[in-house]
Amino acid sequence: MDFSLSNEQRSWQMLARKFADEEIRPISLERDAIPIARETWTWDIIKKGSKLGFRTMAVPKKYGGQETDFVTQALVMTELAKADSAISKAFSQNWKWSHLISAACTDEQKERFLKPFVTDDTFVLGKGITEPGAGSDNRMPPTDDPKPGLRLKAERHGDEWILNGEKAFIANAPVGKLFFVDARTDPTVPLKQGITMFLVPSDTPGFRIGKVFNKSGWRFYQNGEMIFENARVPHANVVGEVNGAVRKTGGAGGDTTGGDLFGDLELSANALGICDDACESALRYGKTARQGGQALFAQQHVQLKINRMYMMTEALRSFVLRVAWEHDRKIHSCNAGLAMNYSCDVVQEVTELYMDIRGADGGHMDPHTDKVVRDSFIWSHLAGDSVSRMKVTRRIIN
Amino acid sequence: MYNLHLSTEQLEIRDTIRDFVTREIKPVALKTERLEICDRRLPMQLIDQASQMGLRTLALSEDRGGAGADHLTCCIVTEELAAGDADVAAVLSTTAWLGHLLFDHAMNDAQRERFLLKFVSDDRFHLAFAKYEAQTDTRLGVNYHRPAPADVALETIAVKTASGEWIINGVKDYVANAPIAALFAVVVEIPGQLVPKVLLVPADAPGLTVRAHEKPWPHGCGGDVTFKDCPVPAGNLLGDDAAALLACVDIPGDGTPLFPALNLGIGRAAYEAALDYAHLRVQGGRPLIEHQAIGTKLAEIAIRLEVARASVWQAAWASDHPEAIADDSLPDLPLQAVAQIFTSEMMVKATKDAAEIFGAMGVMRDMPLQKYIHDARVCQHSGNGNSDAKLRLAEVIARFRRPAHAPMAIAGE
Repeated sequence: MDFSLSNEQRSWQMLARKFADEEIRPISLERDAIPIARETWTWDIIKKGSKLGFRTMAVPKKYGGQETDFVTQALVMTELAKADSAISKAFSQNWKWSHLISAACTDEQKERFLKPFVTDDTFVLGKGITEPGAGSDNRMPPTDDPKPGLRLKAERHGDEWILNGEKAFIANAPVGKLFFVDARTDPTVPLKQGITMFLVPSDTPGFRIGKVFNKSGWRFYQNGEMIFENARVPHANVVGEVNGAVRKTGGAGGDTTGGDLFGDLELSANALGICDDACESALRYGKTARQGGQALFAQQHVQLKINRMYMMTEALRSFVLRVAWEHDRKIHSCNAGLAMNYSCDVVQEVTELYMDIRGADGGHMDPHTDKVVRDSFIWSHLAGDSVSRMKVTRRIIN
Repeated sequence: MYNLHLSTEQLEIRDTIRDFVTREIKPVALKTERLEICDRRLPMQLIDQASQMGLRTLALSEDRGGAGADHLTCCIVTEELAAGDADVAAVLSTTAWLGHLLFDHAMNDAQRERFLLKFVSDDRFHLAFAKYEAQTDTRLGVNYHRPAPADVALETIAVKTASGEWIINGVKDYVANAPIAALFAVVVEIPGQLVPKVLLVPADAPGLTVRAHEKPWPHGCGGDVTFKDCPVPAGNLLGDDAAALLACVDIPGDGTPLFPALNLGIGRAAYEAALDYAHLRVQGGRPLIEHQAIGTKLAEIAIRLEVARASVWQAAWASDHPEAIADDSLPDLPLQAVAQIFTSEMMVKATKDAAEIFGAMGVMRDMPLQKYIHDARVCQHSGNGNSDAKLRLAEVIARFRRPAHAPMAIAGE
């Protein structure tokens, strides 16, 4: 057992901490307060972070990336999320799909898409799975019924595929330049056997972005609608095999390769950053705020809350780093999923305890406290809902 | 006998308000702009309509022109209103309960003569209780089970002039209903007097200014009230016990359990939305409610709502039947505080679970679920919060008696 970080891991962590302190935290509350959803994004922070490698750090060195290991990625996500969870996610979403490019795309596709991604500071990635009528059905589709699940239709016409339908809540949709898109190529079979994954650049004819979703948390992070009206995608953009999105690439409902497993680690590492922020903020407030002539920290009920916050946060840290370490050694386990589920419980309890300690002083809630609590609720439908928990349980059983 | 079989009148008023909420309040409350938690302009037209139905003067005695509703009825009404819109419920319950305390208990005949007709006849005549001052710490905290230091003097001072008129100077922080109130009950320090007194101050008194809070955390509307050489007629002074009597209005857990009743309404709105959606939304080849995971979640929400309502109604019933505490039928505990703490903890869980059933729609600002969660958190962090309320309850359980020479820094305690 050795819990120490390598010099390289340590230096990435320090670089991320500095960037978070100097660039992210100063703009965090201001971006969160912008009322119009599509205006919360700013390219400035993305460009600055990109120049330091935070956009491309999961890309292998031979394609021009930094090829960091999973432990480093977890450390960096946590540091960035400590300053702003949504901005951290805006960076790490690119790692998620660059893992997928590395794992599933052909050399020709990598040449066409990975190179421009690496060199362009404003090249952002996304993936479209969810649709208005299909959320849980994509993540845990019935195996005996072709009807449930995504309906975006793709039909082949010569060297092209024609896509019709829509996607909802797609992360980075309003700002992305390239998307992985899951579409039905055989509607007569259950979902897992009938979907194909396509690479869809944002300037594809017949493809456009609809509304930007106005979320209560993760305000900076953009989620949008994708609309396909006879969108024409070349056959050369099929990822893996036709009808093989799940089998080859860990697409909708799949849980076998980089993209999906990274996603579990990503949510737990990001949650850990929020917890670190809440713990430090609570401690600072406990030492500086006063009641009855003493620091708040003098009170037993405040000490007990801070104890619980730190206890749960440190337990989460151990779990997150163990999962990252297992990923680096290609150890297959259910731990990534379990850590993700656990992170939902921890991040919500820790931020709610922080809100308890702050209180609504004089009829006002501190905006930062309010923000971390709102951001944490995002985990309920991504990481802690009954479908994600049951999905992980199935990994335990199998 | 402990009896929660509602009377015909109570059932009628509940159903009337439920219908009003469905027809009038919900369509407004569910509009996108009303769901924005950072932009909560009051729907005054709905509040006026509710006033015309008698809800502004609900608790005022019948012989003075009100509905004379008891504690339990007021809780039922507040829950129903809050199931539609928590801000509407907060404004109306504040005015209704203050109306009862002021006109039925605190005022003398001459004062009633001057204000009652206006209060009863004007739909826009709202009431506010101005007590808190920013520099006054009302938390129990470190003073738990200790003889607290002597009371901090209020900075809002009333001085009597030669002609007998009062001149008020000072600032009151967070006053519920301040931006819409026509009449304020203001807690003041009078030099040379031992306990704080209460003065009635019309909103149009010279030298009185209200600054509305732009993004208030509590429900309803609120603001700071500044008094600068504000003259008030001699006859506007309420009796010696008025400060104590009125204190229960804005300390959750004291007096009538209107805060937890409002909180229940928020939880119920989330529950009803989730239940409807669970019937409609099909995933995994069947409606959500037919899945064990969702069915269990809805059952848990229902349990929290029912047990919380039982605690609220018990507290309300006890306030309506003080003899039940006197003869030991019910424990001599602040049952309102019990209801407040329990309900606020349960409703945060209930609204979060309801939102989770909606998936991503549960976090969208143009959907009501995120607002129900916010509203439930507001209730959980009203007043000095649950941790402080538990300390107060613990002092009661411990039968702790604070020495008379060291009063707490709270008017009326």
